[in-house]
Amino acid sequence: MGIPFNRVSGSQSGSLGIPSQQFRETVRAALGRESGAPAEPYEVLTQELPEIEAQAQAARDRIARERPELLDQLAATAGLRGWNVQRCEGAEEGLDYVAWLVRSLGATSVARSEQPVFDTAPVDAAVAGAGGLCWPAVYDGPASRTEVRQRLAESGMGITGADYAIAETGSVVVLPRRGLSRLVSVVPPVHVAIVRPSDVVGTLDDLFALRRLEYARDGGEMGSYLNFITGPSRTADIEQTIVVGVHGPREVHMVLLNKE
Amino acid sequence: MAEVVTRQFVPASQAAVKDAQLRQALRRAGTGFDGTRREAIEEVTPGVWEQWRVQARRIKEHTIGHLDYYLEMLERNVTAAGGRVHFAVDAEQANAIVSEIARANGVWTVTKSKSMVSEELGLNHVLEAQGIDVFETDLGEYIIQLADETPSHLVAPALHKTRGQVAQLFADQLGVPYSDDIEEMARIARVVLRQKFLDADMGISGANFLVAETGSLVIITNEGNGRLCTSAPRVHVGLAGMEKVIPSLQDLAVFLRLLPRSATGQRITSYMSMVTGPRRSEDEDGPEEFHLVIVDNGRSRLLADPALRESLYCIRCGACLNVCPVYQRVGGHAYGWVYPGPIGSIVTPGLVGVGQAKDLPNASTLCGACRDACPVQINIPRMLLHLRHNIAEGPEQYEGTGSDTESLLARGFASVMSSPRLLNIGRRIGRRLLAPIAKGGVLGPTRIPLVSRWTRARDLPIPAPRSFSEVWRDELAGQQSNRSGD
Repeated sequence: MGIPFNRVSGSQSGSLGIPSQQFRETVRAALGRESGAPAEPYEVLTQELPEIEAQAQAARDRIARERPELLDQLAATAGLRGWNVQRCEGAEEGLDYVAWLVRSLGATSVARSEQPVFDTAPVDAAVAGAGGLCWPAVYDGPASRTEVRQRLAESGMGITGADYAIAETGSVVVLPRRGLSRLVSVVPPVHVAIVRPSDVVGTLDDLFALRRLEYARDGGEMGSYLNFITGPSRTADIEQTIVVGVHGPREVHMVLLNKE
Repeated sequence: MAEVVTRQFVPASQAAVKDAQLRQALRRAGTGFDGTRREAIEEVTPGVWEQWRVQARRIKEHTIGHLDYYLEMLERNVTAAGGRVHFAVDAEQANAIVSEIARANGVWTVTKSKSMVSEELGLNHVLEAQGIDVFETDLGEYIIQLADETPSHLVAPALHKTRGQVAQLFADQLGVPYSDDIEEMARIARVVLRQKFLDADMGISGANFLVAETGSLVIITNEGNGRLCTSAPRVHVGLAGMEKVIPSLQDLAVFLRLLPRSATGQRITSYMSMVTGPRRSEDEDGPEEFHLVIVDNGRSRLLADPALRESLYCIRCGACLNVCPVYQRVGGHAYGWVYPGPIGSIVTPGLVGVGQAKDLPNASTLCGACRDACPVQINIPRMLLHLRHNIAEGPEQYEGTGSDTESLLARGFASVMSSPRLLNIGRRIGRRLLAPIAKGGVLGPTRIPLVSRWTRARDLPIPAPRSFSEVWRDELAGQQSNRSGD
């Protein structure tokens, strides 16, 4: 490793380049318009919290009604996009699948996040039963960062939950935060995502409606990162030939639970 | 700024047409990308596709039309999330900003995820001159960085290279045994770059979209390098042209549907990452600092001309390249700068100056395939005609871009074509002069003085023995009256 990850940063001053005011003046002059908001306001942006809430609630109600169909659609679409989809009745069956994977890959080190899904699905024991060691990829203070990264780089598998899964696109959505490292789903060569029925949404519009509500409620806190994962890492940069597993996982497994 | 060799379009395109390997690569890519794009449209049905296009265009129209307002909203929200926004009028300033961020943070190693703006700025060489190691991590970008070339396509930068050429490049530059197995080459890149990801102090990414309402930067990728660049280093710098803003998170949905399908025919890419400020203190990981550099670099010129403004709606999917009969024959490098193909023929003159790139608007047959393919319905042929018109007899900022000879010839041609008498005389003289040297009614490529640039690349059909009006008078008009008499 080069310079330690947590090194104190240097530049604390404000903006570089030209003042934003001046930049906007140039843009305004090019457009030939007066400053201020658009004369005709942009509809989505005029919504107040109750409206955003109503929209999100409508999405939730529809999702609840259509849940069985959405689970089928998610399984089908995710399969087409390169996920290995394993549908399971409940957590126990899901863990059997994880154990089988660990055994067949011969993975000795398995990284996982710390998420509520593992409270009902005790994955550590399942992995141990298959001959692997499952460890939480969380940092105990800055000193352990280097160590955690090194361990991640040597792990054969990373297991996470899903904050959402989108039936329209076959995507798992993760919102990295405390307990959920950004790296655990991208550094190891195999990623396993455990998806509960309550994680599933129908469309991209559903997802953004729900995120907008969280954003509006949290007084404008979006969270630093949001990531869609749809199938394995891939490239077609040499002669349009598809190769999987370039910088991210070559193999991704979606363990889709029918019951929480 | 990246070196501009747009003046060389004519010789460069002539050379490209003769390059058999390039032709093969272009054919494969063009039919591949465009074929899957069409399949993807059929799948959602053309009716739905049109609705998405209309919706996306409306969003772009509104945002670009009030760009100053949305830039302010974006800046406010990036800042609220703990990030910093910097504005650059030109390439030099943008490069200076990134250099300063690197200097202030003691950066020695940079990993980059694909960014066309950074290609436009020529950023890598500036950072390297400062003693910083810069690694492109998108496989295509990594290949062209090793070859010290520019991208030849908006989404597939190394499209012009065959597997054999890449294998040789890897053997020469990385000291690995020659292997033209594509899986093996991807594996080598993975191994080499994996260590760089862990070592890097700074990650640089482009931006597909900037969401004003939340202050988020959105990148759409397939390899996973974008996720590593924005997660592992302690500083993240996002680079974006100022036109990338969209108002709301909800607007993202339609663009996530349009962009991958238009670019590669994928229904969605492997990854979509949305970055909102640096890591929060309770987060497990992520950069300590997030900087967003917003670049003008000539875009305000395109914005100021209402006839060219819609070129800023472009989402850089590359669909217009894949359907363009000119791009498909000459490839991206002939265009002489960073943005090739139909949209490049408008954006490049706008950003580097029309005087530098006056051949580009002519590099089109005006067939309209680009307009039909564009996911935001940009009317590219109309803008190409606008540029041609301005170059020929345009307003002052275009002065000196036209050719006097060409303009004289065009005027002569116009007066002949608008007078039946002159046209008739011209036809007779032309036929008498050309008939003896023509073969099969056609004069092959020749060098006729003054117009040789036209005639040496085209077959010239010799004028017919009788004009249409003569044929009409003597035969067709008679038939017409016979028929009506039946």
